[in-house]
Amino acid sequence: MPDMTSLAHPQQRAFNPYTENGGTILAIAGADFSVIAGDTRQSEGYSIQTRYAPKVFRLTDRAVLAVNGFAADGNMFVKKVKQRLEWYRHAHAKDMPLRAIARLIQTMLYARRFFPYYVYNILGGIEEDGTGAVYSFDPVGSYEREACRAAGAAQSLVQPFLDNQIYFKNQVPAPGTSHPAHLPLPTVLSIVIDSFTSATERHIEVGDGLEIYIVLAKGRTLHGTESIGGMQELTTTDDGERVFVVRRDLKKD
Amino acid sequence: MDHFPTNWGRPRNDAFDAYATHPIHQRPYNGPKDTFADGVQRTQSGWSITNPFVPSDLVYRQPIVTGSSVLAIKYKDGVMMAADNLASYGSLARFKDVQRLHQVGNYTVIGAGGDMSDFQYIQYILEELSIEEISAQDGHELGPVEIHEYMSQVMYARRSKMNPLWNSLLIAGFKDGKRFLSFVDLLGTTYTASTLATGYGAYIAQPLLRKAVEGKEDIITEEEARKILEDSMRVLFYRDARSLNKFQIATISSAGVSISDSMQLDTTWSFAEDIRGYGAQTQ
Amino acid sequence: MSIMELNGGSVIAMVGKDCVAIASDLRLGNQALGISSSFQRIFPVTDRVYVGLPGLATDVTTLRERFRYRVNMYTIKEEREIEPETFAHLVSSTLYEHRFGPYFIEPVMAGLSKTPSGGYKPFIAATDLIGCLNFAKDFVVAGTASAKLFGVAEGLWEPDLEAEDLFETISQTLLNAVDRDAYSGWGAIVHVITKDKIITRTLKARMD
Repeated sequence: MPDMTSLAHPQQRAFNPYTENGGTILAIAGADFSVIAGDTRQSEGYSIQTRYAPKVFRLTDRAVLAVNGFAADGNMFVKKVKQRLEWYRHAHAKDMPLRAIARLIQTMLYARRFFPYYVYNILGGIEEDGTGAVYSFDPVGSYEREACRAAGAAQSLVQPFLDNQIYFKNQVPAPGTSHPAHLPLPTVLSIVIDSFTSATERHIEVGDGLEIYIVLAKGRTLHGTESIGGMQELTTTDDGERVFVVRRDLKKD
Repeated sequence: MDHFPTNWGRPRNDAFDAYATHPIHQRPYNGPKDTFADGVQRTQSGWSITNPFVPSDLVYRQPIVTGSSVLAIKYKDGVMMAADNLASYGSLARFKDVQRLHQVGNYTVIGAGGDMSDFQYIQYILEELSIEEISAQDGHELGPVEIHEYMSQVMYARRSKMNPLWNSLLIAGFKDGKRFLSFVDLLGTTYTASTLATGYGAYIAQPLLRKAVEGKEDIITEEEARKILEDSMRVLFYRDARSLNKFQIATISSAGVSISDSMQLDTTWSFAEDIRGYGAQTQ
Repeated sequence: MSIMELNGGSVIAMVGKDCVAIASDLRLGNQALGISSSFQRIFPVTDRVYVGLPGLATDVTTLRERFRYRVNMYTIKEEREIEPETFAHLVSSTLYEHRFGPYFIEPVMAGLSKTPSGGYKPFIAATDLIGCLNFAKDFVVAGTASAKLFGVAEGLWEPDLEAEDLFETISQTLLNAVDRDAYSGWGAIVHVITKDKIITRTLKARMD
């Protein structure tokens, strides 16, 4: 029933410059590698806009950025980060280190504190000391380095699973043993794939396709993981870190 | 869980009423509260005329004369797009001979739903852009990829100024042997797919288009593509109250751009009398 | 403020091989403030049927008594124990009686039902607060941590788990899910129902 008081005093509402485009991203750091993944569905409300819209982007040979939230803000943000990294290359004749990219991202996000990019960022890659790293951000730039993080529509489904499988939370090691601090790459890849198939099963905004980026530290090989179908190398130099992408199908319903 | 039955079954983004069928102050809002939108505070230059407590740059704008769906699909030799010739004024079918498909340069067609005056402004800025490009005489020509990038930046910039161009746009083209099809809207949201539809088309036609096209993009002939679009436009005419049985089809392929003359849809209404509540009732 | 999140708490039930399990946290809160770490919300209905009642705490008590009354009446009239399927429908119709002024509880049931051949078949079910039944073959969840429970359970559960393996699976699922939920946690309890015994264990959980 129309509210009569509102008829007398037309209430004006501001144009809403935001929307949510669904999807989920996730990243896990290993001892000498990093895995960054995202599904490829883009949706608004109950409609699937497209089954293939990438949310994970290669920034340099040692940095990969995943963005999730409002897609238009996400694309614009990635564009601006890439632009800043190019300027850095022109000024310093090298790629920006990962921890510097992380701080750059926090500065760029906080610069828009009062009209935020409605985007959750996860940055993965290799630090200058050769360790795998994951940085996660909130929309206004709060950030920290972690071993693993999930974000987006199915964050609440995936993150507790990761706590259990990556951090071994609530698992007691056998007497005299301890849990590994870092997992091997094949184990991490299976956990990533399981996380996304589970999220696809129970969340309507997740599905269609999965893109997994793998960043390897200098000198490390894929050993044992080359056999994974659909793997493609994206590395641009031949004496540094290496970047690979694996594309897989997820359920489309 | 929402425990209020009156809220059930509503679109989740109820704030966006593409056809402005409710006056803004009567429209129920049942969607989730967006803390981000509420949190946006901007410096203001003045105050609303109707409500002096509302800053003028936060006044809710709405489309006035609106176009409905635009449909487009990829096929074997290129891309095909369709839109009807209606521009509505609320629920009034106000202008019935409006072109909503517009050629830009030699390789691109842009189709628009939403506010038609904003669309005319878009045509104007694209004309200016084309003139600037031609004047350079540097051998460069704007293709669909460039037009898409330009439009997505314009639309995103305008939404960021809280002064959007109230449209959903489809951009289709064929250049250097490559098909191109993309979507841009008033928020600056972009995406590409082998079938696209705006407005009610996204709900009614898109499922039909996907069923007919997905996986067969390189097999469907021009005739088949035209039939798929015609059939979808017919369904839209039956079900979308803001549509018209007069429409155009644009074909973009290696042969260039061609936008057809307006065509009439052949429709059947004899079934109507069999539907209870539609025609004269016998009981 | 949502009534469903006023007191917090979550329940999960899982199917195993010839056994079922039902588990819950032990927190009772007043929004963010923790009140009790020993709040029971899973109750035995018969020797082979358990029901969990996550939601508004006052309705937990009311519904427990209502179900006790109705199950007793059923036992007296029918002169036999109620089967889990029948109990599920009893729960459903009790809730639907209050369709437009519901109890703010989303019950979860787990039990073993008798087969004609004299064996036992695992049974789990859950309903929403107005009694819409969900008979799942794998697991059911409810409460403030339901999204998290869905995510972890979907990753950990597999078919035909033996009683001890099912205990480990449901315990890990519950603990890791409630550790990510501000309104659930503060201890946990698990019941595994097998044909000849019921294993009840309280778990050592994070108390923050």
